Amino acid sequence: MTPPTAPVAPPPETSDSPTVRTLREVGRSVPRLEGTAKVDGSVEYIYNLRLPGMLHGKIHRSSIAHGRIVRIDTSAALAVEGVHAVFTAGDVATLVANPYYGPAFHDQPILAIDKVRHVGEPVAVALATDPHVAEEAANLIEVEYEPLAAVFDEVAAARPDAPVVHDVLKPAGTFTDLKYLGGRSGTNVALDARVRRGDVARGFAEADQVFEHTFRTGKVIHATFEPIVSLAEVTAPNGLTIHTASQSPSFVRTEISRLLGWPENRVRVRTAFLGGGFGAKLYIKLEALVAVCALLVRKPVRIALTMDEQFYTITKHGATVRIKTGVKNDGRIIAREVETYWNGGAYADIGPRVSQKSGFTSAGPYDIEHVALDNYAVYTNEPPAGALRGFGISQLVWAYERQMDIIAHALTIDPLELRRRNVLRAGRPHATGTIIGGMEIDAVLDSLAERMEWHRPFDRGTGTIRRGRGLAIGLKAAISPTTSTAIVHVYGDGSCAVHCGTVDMGQASDTALAQIAAEVLGIATESVRVVHPDTDLTPYDMATLGSRSTYHMGNAIRLAADDARTQLLRIAGTAFGTEIVELDCRDGAIVSRAGARMTFREAMLARFAMQAGTVVGVGAFTPSYQKPDPQTGQSPDITPFWMIGGAGAEISVDCETGRIEVTKLVNAADVGAAINPASVERQLTGAAVMQLGFTLFEAMNFSDGQVLNASLADYKIPGLLDLPRDLTAAVVEVPHEHGPFGAKGVGETGVFSPSPAIANALYDAVGVIVTDLPLTPERVLRAIRAMENRPLGTDA
Amino acid sequence: MKSFELVEPATVDEVVAQLDPENPGVRLIAGATALLLMMKARLFQPERLISLRRLTGAMRAVRDEGRGGVRIGAMTTLSELERSPVIATAAPVMRRALRTLSNVRIRNVATLGGHLAHGDPHMDLPPILMTLGARVRVLSARGERWIDMNDFAVGYYQTALGPDELIADVEIPVQPPGVRAWYAKFTALSADDWPAVGVAVWYRSDGDRIADARIAVSAATDRPMRIAGAERALVGNPAGPAIFAMAADAAAADVEPLTDIRGTAAYKREMVRVHVRRALDHAMRQGSGPNP
Repeated sequence: MTPPTAPVAPPPETSDSPTVRTLREVGRSVPRLEGTAKVDGSVEYIYNLRLPGMLHGKIHRSSIAHGRIVRIDTSAALAVEGVHAVFTAGDVATLVANPYYGPAFHDQPILAIDKVRHVGEPVAVALATDPHVAEEAANLIEVEYEPLAAVFDEVAAARPDAPVVHDVLKPAGTFTDLKYLGGRSGTNVALDARVRRGDVARGFAEADQVFEHTFRTGKVIHATFEPIVSLAEVTAPNGLTIHTASQSPSFVRTEISRLLGWPENRVRVRTAFLGGGFGAKLYIKLEALVAVCALLVRKPVRIALTMDEQFYTITKHGATVRIKTGVKNDGRIIAREVETYWNGGAYADIGPRVSQKSGFTSAGPYDIEHVALDNYAVYTNEPPAGALRGFGISQLVWAYERQMDIIAHALTIDPLELRRRNVLRAGRPHATGTIIGGMEIDAVLDSLAERMEWHRPFDRGTGTIRRGRGLAIGLKAAISPTTSTAIVHVYGDGSCAVHCGTVDMGQASDTALAQIAAEVLGIATESVRVVHPDTDLTPYDMATLGSRSTYHMGNAIRLAADDARTQLLRIAGTAFGTEIVELDCRDGAIVSRAGARMTFREAMLARFAMQAGTVVGVGAFTPSYQKPDPQTGQSPDITPFWMIGGAGAEISVDCETGRIEVTKLVNAADVGAAINPASVERQLTGAAVMQLGFTLFEAMNFSDGQVLNASLADYKIPGLLDLPRDLTAAVVEVPHEHGPFGAKGVGETGVFSPSPAIANALYDAVGVIVTDLPLTPERVLRAIRAMENRPLGTDA
Repeated sequence: MKSFELVEPATVDEVVAQLDPENPGVRLIAGATALLLMMKARLFQPERLISLRRLTGAMRAVRDEGRGGVRIGAMTTLSELERSPVIATAAPVMRRALRTLSNVRIRNVATLGGHLAHGDPHMDLPPILMTLGARVRVLSARGERWIDMNDFAVGYYQTALGPDELIADVEIPVQPPGVRAWYAKFTALSADDWPAVGVAVWYRSDGDRIADARIAVSAATDRPMRIAGAERALVGNPAGPAIFAMAADAAAADVEPLTDIRGTAAYKREMVRVHVRRALDHAMRQGSGPNP
């Protein structure tokens, strides 16, 4: 059996069928397959899993931001009644020779070795059958530190005289293009990635006006309601099973195998539904620690974070973006220089990838002749930053779309019109040199303009309540290179199952992927079983991230289903004495043009001469990709597809308090074609609400690396009362040539633009320029009062 | 978390007997919404928790005392208060505040007694109860005593409640005719957040002049407190924007706000100014009727 692959070309059309078929399953708002079970609480979450004889682990964490470990005293912890074991880095070293993990850099120790680099870093772990006993013991572990100078600000950390977080850079082999960084020392800059197009110096010289601003965003968190949780158990004769709430089980297997020096076939990694992911559960989090603990004690071990611990585990990058733009008086942008410092925290996680893969879009969705983009992934002594819905894009859109309205105002050009004069269109080169295709920014702008009734006069309010409106658009390139493989089984009774590594973390991927398989096989979506990731059963998938599953796994499933379908057609063709081009799958049966019909069950009987057997279809999908030139960032093929997300906001602002009320929020996106329109709308709206929190009030407050609001009591996320009264998604369908049934990814698109759209509305309402997120009432009031020349003071 | 003992006495006398004034690890627990957060954060490690959940009857009832006076049992949940027709008539200002107090899940279990005894300055009801002239009846082995709401909070998370005492009920007295009252809650983060500033106002006019005024500020300060300067600014003057602005300025001058993640002291001082004025405006325009 040779899996069909499609390295460049789209999957073969299934329209070799005898008649032109209208889509029956794809494009239908199928309710979630697991919807009822989620509501009645019966679906599986790893958080609820208990294994016989299991121990609970609780982590002792660093209390300082940077320091050498002088001494660890575990005696009081071990004296607690019921404690099974207490482990430190020394115990880890007995099993793992080089106990550093990470997807981009092998820089994160399973437990701190010699040094701690952020508050909350795991230093030791206590195990007990009672989690409260483990917690008590973990708290009794005493660690003596010799504090070192710490650095928290990303710009300060990039300076040559900054305290150094990692003595030597240790890039992982996973990404070959990072290898050149290996062995660099004395710097916190983990990665510098650049794009050069044209000659920016000339561009600025030729510009009529040049604008330069610095925009900042702080750290925020994913706040998944199911915390990060992993369990490991040793299995006979020589294996290890890890049950983990992970978005990337395939990567976990690879990484655990590497750490242990085992072949991958001895490590099994499985997951279930996730209670939210948003990037928090990517790559490797607790898996290495539970694996080592289970191997040391030869018992199953479970570690689940509390909500508070999540604040010290993974965050979204804070970023400082300096953006300089040269324009002609007619509004044409001719030069743009963007320098972005990404606060990666103490461990790289996927941060360098965020800097690079999102960084190359930092000039925005615009057609600009001269471009220079620099991105610095910077280590600091804050908790690690990784992927969070949008992979760095919203930090960049915040800068370039906020500046766009400042430019529009200066040139007295309508903000929508200014964008229309500059957007990238099909056939034009992106800053990376890749020729644009498969997206229509104009269609998204048109949709926004219509929903916002942009041509109509707008009431800006009077007195202390002012109103404003704003819009913004952002661009993201799907991550590349990646690969997905899927298997479609047809069982003896004719029923079907899809085996794939995509993790349903709430985005409704089970349903969308079942729809694709069902469409190809001519069966009802509701009858398809989607088998959840289990590396013993489901083929490799890069990960559920970056809005890639619908496109990549969707294509793999489409190919796998088509492979299975072809085999079924052959069985029926033989039975009917017909060529397979005369046949089609419809309503769970193979039908011929002449009217013959054979159910899948009958086909299986015909093939195996009994009600048994399996037909296996396999599909693999790896989009084409060309690595960018490291000096210029140029590549003719940088991404499989572009995502375009726009937002329009209407707000009112209370000029006495600074409080913003978003009264209307429209989120428009070019989604290719919607596999499940209702799910697409929910993804756009859900993402926009998440970004609304990051825009208006979410912020991790730090003091010397300590998070002052590390709990949901003090770190507030949006609730129902925070939603705009008028909150809608505008789905723009421009079928993508290579997408499964024209579909593109949509999980992140809704986060791109709400922040600058809302800040642009604030600018429209009261004329203040706020450069930092979030737009808290105090920040807004201070800006208003400063503009009015009666600044709000500071209390003694 | 260390193991601890949980006891669930059936009577007030048994509760009082279980209290141990010498041991800070012995605490009363009602709805547990606040204490559990402290336990999770290891700010409090109990030795014995005395659950009050079996105390019902008068301890969990809203009683009309006649002519608008109300007696509320300490174990009455915030939801029960919110839905109480007695409260709706006697203290609509309380009912309005309850609807924006945290969220329905919290209100379903949190109790009035816990709300007060916790001593958190960010609570919504204490400033309102202060302006309504409420008092708290507390019980101990020594007997019962009354604490005026104005004397109840004594510092940051500190109350006048002794370690051997529990709250039995809260009495809201009969309000004089012509009273107007309002509570202004300002949240700086999400809508269901604790207030960054809470302002309760209450005044009574005699003829065209304000005869009596009470203004209490919470959340911005280390404890809910009456603002005498602002009250003085109102009394003897006709209600209206000019005098309200003066009272607001007096309040802003008098408070000593604390800087925290919800705002700097300077910002909160400004919010006190804005919300004292707005609360008074609201009280004048809407907070009237036969009862406040």
